[in-house]
Amino acid sequence: MATAATTAAGHGAGAKSKHESHSAPPVLKAVDAPKELEREPLVLNNRSMAWVTDTIAGMCERPMPKWWLPAFLASAGLMGMMFALVAYLISTGVGVWGLNQPADWAWDITNFVFWIGIGHAGTLISAILFLLRQKWRTSVNRAAEAMTLFAVACAGIFPVVHTGRVWFALYPGFLIPVPNANGIWPQFRSPLLWDVFAVSTYGTVSLLFWYVGLIPDLATLRDRATNKIRKFCYALFSLGWTGSNRHWSNYEKAYLIFAGLCTPLVLSVHSIVSFDFAVSQVPGWHTTIFPPYFVAGAVFGGFGMVLTLLVPLRWLFKLNDIVTDRHIELMCKVLLATGSIVGYAYGMEFFIAWYGGSPYELYAFKNRAFGEYWWAYWIMIGCNVVSPHFFWFRWFRRTGWFVWIISIFVNIGMWFERFVIIVTSLHRDYLPSSWGYFTPSWVDMFTFVGSFGLFMTLFLLFIRFLPAIAISEVKGVMPQADPHHPLGGAKGHH
Amino acid sequence: MKTIPPTCPEPEVGPKYWRSLDQLADKPEFRQWMEREFPAGASIAPDGETRRDWIKLMSASFMLAGVGGFASGCRRPEEKLMPFSRQPEGYVHGKPQYYATSMPYRGTAVPLVAKSYEGRPVKLEGNALHPDSNGGTDPYAQAALLSLYDPDRAYRHTVGGNDAKVEAVRDALSAISKRFAANGGDGLAFLAERSSSPTRNRLQEEIGKKFPKSKWFVYEPVDFTATNRALGTLFGADVQAHHTLEGARRILALDCDFIGTEQEAYRHIRGYAKGRRTPGDSMNRLYAVESLMTLTGGNADHRLRVRPTDVVKVAAQIGAAVLSKLGVTGELAVLLKRLETGSPAKAEWAAECAKDLVDNKGASVVLAGYTQPLAVHLIAQALNAVLGAFGPAITAIKSSEAKADGSIAEATALLKAGLDTLVILGGNPVYNAPADLEFPAALKKAKNVVRIGYQEDETAKASGVHIAAAHFLESWGDARTGDGTWVPVQPMIEPLFGGLTEIEVLARILGVDKASPLDLVRATFGTDEAAWKRSLHDGFAAGSTAKPLDFASADLGRLTQALAAEKPAAGKDFDVVIVRHGSIDDGRFNNNGWLQEIPDPITKVTWENVILVSPKTAKKLGVEASAGAKEGQYRQHLVKVSIGGRSVQGPVWVQPGLADDTVGLALGYGRTETGRVGRGSGYNAYPLFLDASRHLATGAAVAVVPGRHLVAVTQEHGLMEGRPIVREANLADFKAKPDFVKHMDLDAHLPHYVPFKAEGDGRNPEKRPQNIYEHPYDQNPFTASKIHQWGMVIDLASCVGCNSCAVACQSENNVPIVGKDQVARGREMTWMRIDRYYSHDPAVDVDSETASSDPQMAVQPMFCQHCESAPCESVCPVNATVHDEEGLNVMAYNRCIGTRYCANNCPYKVRRFNFFDFNKRETDYAAAQDQHFLNLGNLYKGPLGINRNEAPEWEIIKLVRNPDVTVRMRGVMEKCTFCVQRIEQAKIARKVLAGNSGEVAVPDGSFKTACQQACPAEAIAFGNMLDADSAVSKLKRDPRNYSVLGFLDTRPRVTYLARIRNPNPAISTMEGRKAPDSIRDYERFRHENPFETPGHGGGHEAHPNAAASKKGAA
Repeated sequence: MATAATTAAGHGAGAKSKHESHSAPPVLKAVDAPKELEREPLVLNNRSMAWVTDTIAGMCERPMPKWWLPAFLASAGLMGMMFALVAYLISTGVGVWGLNQPADWAWDITNFVFWIGIGHAGTLISAILFLLRQKWRTSVNRAAEAMTLFAVACAGIFPVVHTGRVWFALYPGFLIPVPNANGIWPQFRSPLLWDVFAVSTYGTVSLLFWYVGLIPDLATLRDRATNKIRKFCYALFSLGWTGSNRHWSNYEKAYLIFAGLCTPLVLSVHSIVSFDFAVSQVPGWHTTIFPPYFVAGAVFGGFGMVLTLLVPLRWLFKLNDIVTDRHIELMCKVLLATGSIVGYAYGMEFFIAWYGGSPYELYAFKNRAFGEYWWAYWIMIGCNVVSPHFFWFRWFRRTGWFVWIISIFVNIGMWFERFVIIVTSLHRDYLPSSWGYFTPSWVDMFTFVGSFGLFMTLFLLFIRFLPAIAISEVKGVMPQADPHHPLGGAKGHH
Repeated sequence: MKTIPPTCPEPEVGPKYWRSLDQLADKPEFRQWMEREFPAGASIAPDGETRRDWIKLMSASFMLAGVGGFASGCRRPEEKLMPFSRQPEGYVHGKPQYYATSMPYRGTAVPLVAKSYEGRPVKLEGNALHPDSNGGTDPYAQAALLSLYDPDRAYRHTVGGNDAKVEAVRDALSAISKRFAANGGDGLAFLAERSSSPTRNRLQEEIGKKFPKSKWFVYEPVDFTATNRALGTLFGADVQAHHTLEGARRILALDCDFIGTEQEAYRHIRGYAKGRRTPGDSMNRLYAVESLMTLTGGNADHRLRVRPTDVVKVAAQIGAAVLSKLGVTGELAVLLKRLETGSPAKAEWAAECAKDLVDNKGASVVLAGYTQPLAVHLIAQALNAVLGAFGPAITAIKSSEAKADGSIAEATALLKAGLDTLVILGGNPVYNAPADLEFPAALKKAKNVVRIGYQEDETAKASGVHIAAAHFLESWGDARTGDGTWVPVQPMIEPLFGGLTEIEVLARILGVDKASPLDLVRATFGTDEAAWKRSLHDGFAAGSTAKPLDFASADLGRLTQALAAEKPAAGKDFDVVIVRHGSIDDGRFNNNGWLQEIPDPITKVTWENVILVSPKTAKKLGVEASAGAKEGQYRQHLVKVSIGGRSVQGPVWVQPGLADDTVGLALGYGRTETGRVGRGSGYNAYPLFLDASRHLATGAAVAVVPGRHLVAVTQEHGLMEGRPIVREANLADFKAKPDFVKHMDLDAHLPHYVPFKAEGDGRNPEKRPQNIYEHPYDQNPFTASKIHQWGMVIDLASCVGCNSCAVACQSENNVPIVGKDQVARGREMTWMRIDRYYSHDPAVDVDSETASSDPQMAVQPMFCQHCESAPCESVCPVNATVHDEEGLNVMAYNRCIGTRYCANNCPYKVRRFNFFDFNKRETDYAAAQDQHFLNLGNLYKGPLGINRNEAPEWEIIKLVRNPDVTVRMRGVMEKCTFCVQRIEQAKIARKVLAGNSGEVAVPDGSFKTACQQACPAEAIAFGNMLDADSAVSKLKRDPRNYSVLGFLDTRPRVTYLARIRNPNPAISTMEGRKAPDSIRDYERFRHENPFETPGHGGGHEAHPNAAASKKGAA
């Protein structure tokens, strides 16, 4: 207990040790307070800080539950399949996918934008909600940020391997934006190059932000570690954290700065990804609404994926007191808001297609809804526009299994949104003579499925080895952390 | 596959030195350059490495061909075609040489110029010096080069199925000679293809003298002789028809696809296009009465759709009307009146057509198609006679072919009676003889079958002695073109596999030992050495053109008698038309990948033939009447067509514009013995090809059979959807508003809809819409060349959609073929495609909800438009596609990483991506008959698939590559380059010539792009837009000039001249088609009519195109 006391993080660190020394019971008797003034607590059941530490750190200290290993092996198998298919793709040619003229992009870029979009929720939760002092973020931000990183990793694969000559794509000139041997610079007018900058910046900053947030918790794990290897590894990455005031002071400043840096990136990365389409002149792509619409869609999709992961996670690890129904409900509200924005954007696209007076544009949108790919469009509408509207009602927001189902719909819908934008626009553009149709090959499908394997493998490893919830931050929003709170400690400490 | 070493050809005795011309361009500039003391051109050859590579490659090919002298020790080099061990004087490595030659083809020949690098022919072009040529060719001639380097051609002689040395073959031939010398040739027969070779005719005659009892038969499955027979009846002599459509102002085509599948279509196209190029009163007018949908019908001003057995009635109906207009009475008029009974054509239609023909007497011509019975041809020639077409549009000349003792029917009868020896000269009768003759069975009865053939095909398997034939580019020969002009067949290369020629075989049988083909040809030509050299140089013998027969010898009475005897079959159940396939002919090009992959001009089907039915007939049969793809694929129903116990089964194709109750079949597919390319492609239509009916049978039953078949099509959508992509007008409307093209599409509205930069800043004088990226030359004016700015104009009024340009491009630019499976997936690589659009008027066309019954058709060659503000350039992340200073949008292949963003952003969808290593991996060809979930085609096996580079027989296919053009690997984007290699060669030549004078601008017309060169219609103009007098600049000032999708402000360097239709106003009114259907469709799309709304576009003075043309004029 003493070890835990010295490293317990957050504002209430001192306070905690005081309580411990009084050897208070784990659940204290509630003090009467005027109920109507109180928000629903972020940690339920008046859990103690020690309980929080034990519960979260215990997730990666105790043996994993029985389901973990099969899940991991299945995920790793899918991941292996993806890499095998990528090797097949690179050794044989892009033709193993279903691409053709005119659909020169299809599932590859759909998957890229899909995964990048998923990566949005993490940084939004950790950065924008931090700046906006949304304290509920603390229970979900760690997992969401991890998810961001893993989604970016999945996303990064597709634009690289979709090129015809991957070995040249990795050369100076594209992914390494410096002049090649002939002194020729990459083309800075190309949105693909902007993508390289946007995604790599986003990935890097997100990683650093995530890592900085992890340091106090890594130190907790270090201190709780019982074998040497664990201790060494956690010690290495916790960078000698001792929880001193100076450390805390520097940490909080760094965290704030990163939050500030990340915030514009949340908006920029998907805006830039949307430029891949908006800058072109393909009817259905060439539209100014794309940047805000893509960002809203990405947040929507990202929150969908956060819910898809956290709802089962809190059930499997019995984290309902930390990731509470209120958290789920708040995220459902975000889904409702962003889903409505996306729905508005879909409508506005049609309006502009008609109002803009270009028959080519109008045709593209008519074709989107009623052409050969009508089913994709209506799956997208059903999942993205219709399904979030259940969340106007409290019961739906608070019912875990229902939320989870809707979150799956959101994921499906957001994938289809990108598919619809990319494929229905490309397959019929200006000259009817070159109209075509895209059908995915089995390699397309299994590569995409395999990317979930990569994502889940990384995520399962994450919950195995790292605290899936930010211990120190959760403690910071607990009542005990408030020096003025009746249960709080360290009065006069500040 | 095991490689069998080539046999060693025995050396021939003959002249050692044969080279006759150095340069086709025998111009003063060239001579001047040649005469200069130190030709600097030597230094302009490709750099050392490239040259070494080619020499390496060439030596490899020599070894393969057994020319090296080391690989084949039995050879004494006496007659050398490529003696580069001793370099010819004045020869510069890496500089192409041009030789005149010709391609003998079914009783005529295509005059050609072969481009040769280091003794290796790499490109065939038409010989523009020839009196009956403008340098244009047909796709067959363009693709003949690939057949030369076909690894599946007959590469060995066989006796009894075993490899045989050439000596054994010669011995066998000499034995025949000796054996039959005794009995006067009793039991000896020859079965030959049609040929106009004077040498073959001479040898045939000599054989007839030496072996008087021998028989000579000529057989061609595609029988183009009906016109000649009808003409022969008229003139009472053995004649052939020679059409000069330049002189025709009214053309009536009676089921005659003279633009597409008729004999010498490229010549007809030249004449036809010439009469259409200038919209005005001199424009010709084409009436097509046809059953199938053909290029001719698609180009026609009026098309009458009738079932094939009714064509004779319509012909008689029009003929009767013509005679009555001319006041001719008598037996012929009565006969025609009788024949026209039951004609499906409206009387007014026929009357107006006849009136038009009569009004243009002396400039009207009637053509009848080879699928039609002789009666139609007789009517056509009768009409030509009364309309005065002889002279201006058609002439009868003495036949270039020697008379035969019969055709295949007589030959089969002889075989059945027991024949000792049959010598088959080319052809493939076992495959393509009329089915009812049962030729293969009869052939088995012959004691000896000697056959010379280009492929080890069905006939080769049935022949005791099979002699590998030399390609026409490997052999000496001669021929006469359609007008009777003598043309040489000059070899460009030693026979790669030691093949022999027809005339050699005949000479051996005659008993001539050591007869080289050259000697034989020389002996026929005569002894005039100067004339010989001149003829070889020019590619034709001056003054050898046949004299037209005097029309005075024509006897209409004789023709009337013949017509009275004809009893054309009446239509019953389904009529079946069996046509020559538009790409692979009667099957002779079955193993030619370029022709297999070039889409049919109408259906756009590749790699196979289909069974054509009309939308209405499709409904009747219970198959989907839609002509479109379902989810990008054409999984076609299978149907079975049967006539009296014989049947053909294949995928059905719903063809708009086809006559109802008519089935169209194409020959040439379903081969059992062919190379790797043709294997498994298509169905065999010959079972219904009967000697009695040949191309037109009736009384057929059609039934749907279970199953579906995947058909690979390059164009899935046939309608323009009202978009003004091909802009067209009727002549009258065009005269009233010559600049109607400027009043179409969104650019007609630009000043209203699109913001301009502020006026007066001087940077946008043309008031172009504001592009997101500034025009490259505005941005950096110093980068634009002040000497050359290349541009191209395609005249849609001349272009007929014949595919010559597309195959020429494939040949010139090393464009790979991808195979049926990949075409079906939409990955064809052709840089140049011919878009074919149908348009129809629902008000007129009742069947339009599915597929139109009576569509109008328009074609448009589409390829890289070389946009000045190219959307592809701004999105490429690696600068792989950039603009050069002369206005070309160029591809730097070695920089391309294959993001394919450029292709997505190209509004014209002309970029082509190498989804696989099409050049390295053996293509799946027809092996992938169906697309599987797990496709294990060779391309999909990647590095585990067959690598051509490791298969020795593929070495030969590399030789077809143009050394001036990079061969692209997988993962690289490619597209039309405007033949940048030709541009650079012309510029270099000009710079060498200019010396210090500084006059480096390439003169207009001094070179042509490959497509332009091949175009028989002269529809393509290419040149320097800075030269105000260049052809292209003049055409860009034409009021018909427009850019496709001009409103995008991509400013393409390729522009199009609107198509002008020239309908008969009386018939248009009758049909309710006042404007082309596409214009009516456009009206629905944009709610405006370019001819009626002066407020749109025309009112805007600052119209960008208008301004541009004003600027150009200044």
